[in-house]
Amino acid sequence: MKQTVAIGFVGTQLDAGRGPNRWSKWRPTVALCGHEDLLVTRLELLHDRRGTALAATVAADLAGVSPETQVNRHLIDFADPWDFEEVYGGLHDFARGYDFRPERDDYLVHITTGTHVEQICLFLLTESRHVPARLIQTSPPRRPDHGPGAYIVVDLDLSRYDRLAARFAREQREGLSFLKSGIDTRSPTFNRMIEQIERVVIATRAPILLTGPTGAGKSQIARRIYQLKRTRNQVAGDFVEVNCATLRGEGAMSALFGHVKGSFTGAMRDRPGLLRQAHGGMLFLDEIGELGLDEQAMLLRAIEDKTFLPVGADREVSSDFQLIAGTNRALRARVREGAFREDLLARIDLWHFQLPGLRERPEDLEPNLDFELDRATQTLGTRITMSREARARFLKFAVSPEARWPGNFRDYNAAVLRMATLAPGGRIDIATVEEELARLRAAWGEDAAPDLVALVLGAERAAALDRFDRVQLEDVLRVCRSCESLSEAGRLLFAASRARKASTNDAHRLRQYLAKHGLDFEATRRG
Amino acid sequence: MREGIVSIDGAEGEGGGQILRTSVGLALVTGTAVRVDRIRARRPKPGLMRQHLTAVRAAAEVSGATLEGAEPGSTSLTLRPGAVRGGEYRFSVGTAGSATLVLQTVLPALLTAPRPSRLVFEGGTHNPWAPTFDHLDRAFLPLLRRMGARVEARLERHGFHPAGGGRIVVEIEPIERLAPLCLLERGDVRSHAATAILSALPYDIAKRELAVLRERFPWDPECFRPLMVKDAAGPGNVVQITVACEHVTEVFASFGERGLPAERVAAQAADECAAWLAAGVPVGAHLADQLLLPLALAGGGSFRTVAPTGHTRTQAALVPRFIDVRVDLRRDDDGQWTVIVE
Repeated sequence: MKQTVAIGFVGTQLDAGRGPNRWSKWRPTVALCGHEDLLVTRLELLHDRRGTALAATVAADLAGVSPETQVNRHLIDFADPWDFEEVYGGLHDFARGYDFRPERDDYLVHITTGTHVEQICLFLLTESRHVPARLIQTSPPRRPDHGPGAYIVVDLDLSRYDRLAARFAREQREGLSFLKSGIDTRSPTFNRMIEQIERVVIATRAPILLTGPTGAGKSQIARRIYQLKRTRNQVAGDFVEVNCATLRGEGAMSALFGHVKGSFTGAMRDRPGLLRQAHGGMLFLDEIGELGLDEQAMLLRAIEDKTFLPVGADREVSSDFQLIAGTNRALRARVREGAFREDLLARIDLWHFQLPGLRERPEDLEPNLDFELDRATQTLGTRITMSREARARFLKFAVSPEARWPGNFRDYNAAVLRMATLAPGGRIDIATVEEELARLRAAWGEDAAPDLVALVLGAERAAALDRFDRVQLEDVLRVCRSCESLSEAGRLLFAASRARKASTNDAHRLRQYLAKHGLDFEATRRG
Repeated sequence: MREGIVSIDGAEGEGGGQILRTSVGLALVTGTAVRVDRIRARRPKPGLMRQHLTAVRAAAEVSGATLEGAEPGSTSLTLRPGAVRGGEYRFSVGTAGSATLVLQTVLPALLTAPRPSRLVFEGGTHNPWAPTFDHLDRAFLPLLRRMGARVEARLERHGFHPAGGGRIVVEIEPIERLAPLCLLERGDVRSHAATAILSALPYDIAKRELAVLRERFPWDPECFRPLMVKDAAGPGNVVQITVACEHVTEVFASFGERGLPAERVAAQAADECAAWLAAGVPVGAHLADQLLLPLALAGGGSFRTVAPTGHTRTQAALVPRFIDVRVDLRRDDDGQWTVIVE
């Protein structure tokens, strides 16, 4: 069995007393070692210079009351035992110098005695595990002179309390659900990432980098992170959001870092800038890869030192904010191109989360559909429902290779909202879905060229093409697919030559061109 | 040494520290292993307390015993004694425990150990809920000596609750075996002494206590004396009445405590003494439970006493578990009791 070691201050008031009367008064440190069911094998008795004689008296009294207790006295001299910095420093030194053997000894920190500041510092050092102990609080007997009174032992390791653990688990679940905007997502990769984000944002104020394709939900998650921290009282300031792509040229510096009146033409008055607006809060810089190099340098400074120089100012200002950066670009490549500072990247990608695009989260299409239907119900003020076959049709399309979703969930959610808005009587039927699918195809068709090549040639061979050739093939394919025959397509494609009568064998030229890509006319209609 | 292990239900009878200490003492003197379960099971704070632990550890020390479950709060204890060794021992007893209770635990075994012993006890010598040193020295030890024991005790310093710091020295010359004792008459009263012991407390307390005692007992004024203790570690107040008879001496004590008027303290000891005087028997309630064990070791004996307390009944039930004797508690026609050990 481990032996119990108590650590505590001699109480200059509570433990005081020299004459015989001290025995009729409750003295916490003496009582601590006098409990019948608690054997303190060692007492580390802390005292300052003024408490030296008192500590000696207490130690002598304990020799009679509790001969089993070895009392070690430690002089920690405080000029002012109410000075937090001094007391914490002194106790921190004591804790660092003390040979804790938690495998052999069970430590109890006695917090009934000492100044309140001393008690607070002991608590903090115990809570931060600088002192690997539990707390013990003692109290006098109900009737004076009737024994050592009572004590309670408090373990600050909250995971040891079942009901609290359940509470934390619930809070964490709420946090996760919150980050997911209440959408019951099923994608394991996505859910795992959200769990990590939750843990990270609760634990740190370090910058966070969110990457992922456009429409994957970066700015939404950034905003939810802010709101989560806000509900947990971890952030007091505002959420400030800006897309760096909109911060090009002259105005970028002043928009971010502010300027002083008259610093340039048009600077009619002081402008605080976004960084200062985010003081005590959170700054979300979306598309951070678009930030100019000068702005990057200043931003790095602002993150590291929490100070920066507004445009035209001769004194630095400070702002303390948590940075969340978003980008859909490969920042490493931007660094290689010299367009992004390597030191800034190193600073912001300590916590880097890659948000998967819609294609990587097929499991989440249905939960998102339901969520968007609910949201539409609220926005539109009518209950929006969807027939079973309409739902099946839409979801089947959504995961098909045909559905490109270039804007990921942004596009997907917009499609749902359109269907909800156009649904007759609030019920989305198969016709509504088909209309939407036609709309989507048309929208994607406008810029569908690159994929048309991939559709016909397969992604691998398409990727091997030079851009030069690919643009050509893409147009050829589009024409072929709109024509009934090879000849018709040839006529359209070689219309100019034909007009000059430079060539008459259009079909042959087209066949040869297609053969070069391993295709015939039929093959152009694949996919 | 006996084979096997005696299993005791610690919650039976008195159900507290006494059953534990007696079991351990009997284990030592008989060389039997003992296991006590459900230690203090019916008490508000069940399990071994530090004062019991002190006695158990002392017992283990003088007998080279192995212990299991010897820690605060433990509800089950096993002690396997080795050979009891006489010698020099020093036991520091915190004030929660009493030196006399620790002595009671180890004394029977050391009386018949192969070598002499010198025991030093430090701690409380005059504590409530335990025989005072004076009870031990004037009432109990003389009877043991009559049974052949060679044992002397000396109080070197008083120790009161809560400061403790007292000191008792006990010297034992071992003998083969105790002789039976028959104590049916107290004989003529030879002397009285009523003492108000006082340490670091106003003298007025002793005056008030002695005034009560003088009123209660028509004894020679010389019998009523204050005893001002100068060298104790802390304050203390004990009222002690000693009545020495031809065949026995009895000591009655009561303890001052904060909030309890001196007159009430004195009245408690006086009431006990008066009841014993009226009963006409030699052995008082507390002495009775202490005598059972030595009588059993002697193989027999008898004494007349007042109605047995829970402690005495517990002893009577416990002793035959270890020693092959019969203990009879018999109520006599005069309303008093005779205890016979065969």
